[in-house]
Amino acid sequence: MTHLTHLQRLSTEKTLCDLIRGYNSLSIIGMCKNAGKTTVLNAILRDTTIAEHTLALTSIGRDGEAMDLVTGTKKPGIYVRKGSLIATAERLLRQCDITKEILFTTGIATPLGEVVVLRARSDGSVQLAGPSMVTQLVELSHRLRELGAEKVVIDGAAGRKTLCSRRLAEATVLCTGASCGRSMDTVVEETAHVCRLLGTKEVDNPFLAEAVMLMENHRYLLFGQEPILLAAGTDLQEALKEHGDSRYLYVEGAVTNQLLDPLLRSGALTRGIKVVARDASRLFLSPDALRRLHVRKWELRVLECIHLAAIAVNPYSAYGYNFDSTEFLRTMTDAVTVPVVNVEDKGDDVL
Amino acid sequence: MISLSHEQKQNIGFTYVMDQLEPASSYGREALRNLRPAASGEEVELELDNINKTLIGLTEQVKIYTRIEQLFRSVKNIRGSISRCGGEALGEVDLFEIKRFLLQLCEIAPLFSKINTKAHYHGIAISELNGALELLDPEGNRVATFYISGRYSPALTAIRNEKLQVEQQIRTLSVGEENKALLNQRSELAAREQAEEDAIRFRLSRELRPYAEAMIRNADAIGRLDLTLQKAKLAVRYGACHPIISENGMRFVEMTNPQLAYQLMERGNNFTPLTMELRQGATVITGANMGGKSVALKTVALNVQLVHYCFYVFAQEATCEFFDSMHIISEDLEAADRGLSSFGGEIVRLQEVLQEMDKGFAFVLMDEFARGTNPEEGAAIARGVVAYLNSRNCVALLSTHYEGVAELAGTHYQVIGLERMNPDVLEEEIANIPTKNRVARIAQYMDYGLVLVNENQKPPRDALNICRLLGLDDEIMYLIKNG
Repeated sequence: MTHLTHLQRLSTEKTLCDLIRGYNSLSIIGMCKNAGKTTVLNAILRDTTIAEHTLALTSIGRDGEAMDLVTGTKKPGIYVRKGSLIATAERLLRQCDITKEILFTTGIATPLGEVVVLRARSDGSVQLAGPSMVTQLVELSHRLRELGAEKVVIDGAAGRKTLCSRRLAEATVLCTGASCGRSMDTVVEETAHVCRLLGTKEVDNPFLAEAVMLMENHRYLLFGQEPILLAAGTDLQEALKEHGDSRYLYVEGAVTNQLLDPLLRSGALTRGIKVVARDASRLFLSPDALRRLHVRKWELRVLECIHLAAIAVNPYSAYGYNFDSTEFLRTMTDAVTVPVVNVEDKGDDVL
Repeated sequence: MISLSHEQKQNIGFTYVMDQLEPASSYGREALRNLRPAASGEEVELELDNINKTLIGLTEQVKIYTRIEQLFRSVKNIRGSISRCGGEALGEVDLFEIKRFLLQLCEIAPLFSKINTKAHYHGIAISELNGALELLDPEGNRVATFYISGRYSPALTAIRNEKLQVEQQIRTLSVGEENKALLNQRSELAAREQAEEDAIRFRLSRELRPYAEAMIRNADAIGRLDLTLQKAKLAVRYGACHPIISENGMRFVEMTNPQLAYQLMERGNNFTPLTMELRQGATVITGANMGGKSVALKTVALNVQLVHYCFYVFAQEATCEFFDSMHIISEDLEAADRGLSSFGGEIVRLQEVLQEMDKGFAFVLMDEFARGTNPEEGAAIARGVVAYLNSRNCVALLSTHYEGVAELAGTHYQVIGLERMNPDVLEEEIANIPTKNRVARIAQYMDYGLVLVNENQKPPRDALNICRLLGLDDEIMYLIKNG
């Protein structure tokens, strides 16, 4: 990838909507609570070109409440246009002030009742609480398309736990901002690190994905000439020595520092190997661990990658302090390879 | 109680049969979950007649039945929504579900009427509820979505028009302070819209109340027809027959048990259909040690239980009495969880059953009663029980390997076992098979059929044969034979 200088990038600056306009499905995830996800969502909903399409909105878990349930801070509402489709939980319907037409009930249960699909018969604000399981979301997106949705937008929860892989959304926007920490440098560093993890490439060997399907209760898969299935608790160091021809180590579940550190320190394994996780949400590696991987010429891969279309930064925090907007945008742009856009959410924008 | 315990139902293969049923509608699944035995022989006959009508329908009007089943698949259980009619204001989702159900009735009812002009089902009626539907579809466009239409109230239309104008103004503005006033105005109008909608929902809820009972009746009817349809399809799949309910003895011809047949099939063996008659008093089954007796008992138990749950039975022909209670006493079912020895458990259970039997006409099954105690006393106990049951208001079927028991019973059946095999041929046959595989091979040569035994016939003596075939040590065999 060609590395653009800061000036070059500013000269080709695009708005958030320019960056995501081409995608038919989009997920929005946040580095922390109050990172500005809803502001991003509203910016998309306000975009006139995007609004020409029938939009469908849902979320993973709950979002869009007037007050943040966890931190008690004021949150912007999601303002949709007439004709949009909304998938949300039954008990939030009263908090949606659009004129509602119920289209169907999904049978998907949430703590706030069944997920219901409605059509907005007027503009207005909505609150979202969708399915919490990815498989349910995939099926729901499918139904929404059948009902005429041209673009599906999924409001993800804060943190990477509910990451949207490409199976669910063609592109993802990562929101970050002053709410994620008091020090701008730390927020930039952490965001850049998450970006690197989210940018992990898809594994290039189709046979590996097939081999993964053979796994039952196994935790690891070594893949070289043929797949070796290993149970949890296996001594990986020994296993890697024994099967010296392995080129891939697939890990079902979390890939952590604790898992990789002993392998990286072991002098016996000189050949580079590709460590593969199901998707980037399973990668719990420190910047240090990433560096060590790199030094040893080991590579990180995922089965299902995501396409990070943009990083949206919000210099205003929900806790009474703010970052310098220009400075924040500049340092973030320098720290990552993904386009960065500024989303100024002062917290009083109800639209 | 005619109904058996959960463990007994699993053991005799009743649960297995129930698991074969796949009702299409949620009301059908509910009906299956709540399945109860019939209260009388007449009730059984009516339900069996419904199955019979369905079987005829499935050949003569198969397309309509298939279409009805398809429609059933999207019928959701909305008893909760219906029960809220007339109480508080129904939610929009409740109203949506009720409207969808009413629209489904509009599709199902005409089809039902087509089949029912031929079938004349007992106790099943599905009808459209147009009055209720009109309440929820004031525009009459019969679309399965719901929204509170402006038709319900001119005031609502007025508020929405006003709100629309504000919304259009909001759209033209860019983000900033100046739209605060408009947004507030919109919020205020949205609140008025909601208040008006609440009033309409409350009204609808009251107006739907008179239809609630009819909606429940239709829901029940869908469940019942669905379950009847599944019972009929089960009967077709297994070639089950319509049992005759009689007050004068029982007769099952070529009776089978799907669960046991499946288990045998997995081991490469076939189930031998059983034919037997049972009269008031005790009937005894004797036979070789290696199974057959328990299989017969479970098969009878399953089919008698099925009759009382208004199912066709797995037999070529069947006549069955209607019982007030049914009891199985079997050592492997009298679990040790009562803290008794197996023998103690059986005796306690027998005492319980005898008390229960006083309440009406009982069907009693005992698998090798008192087998856990010493043979002399065990046989004496079994004889006593048989003699006692002979005089009671019950039909009893007992299996035993004790001698002198069968003679006291009204009827005596014997599992054919190895009797019709030439032991020398069999011995030669299995001589080359490793000992551990011989049990399975002998099982294949066993004839599990039942034969009626007349008074003078000797009980079968297969135990020694089996010992020999299984390669029991010669020295022991010698000692056994020569005392």
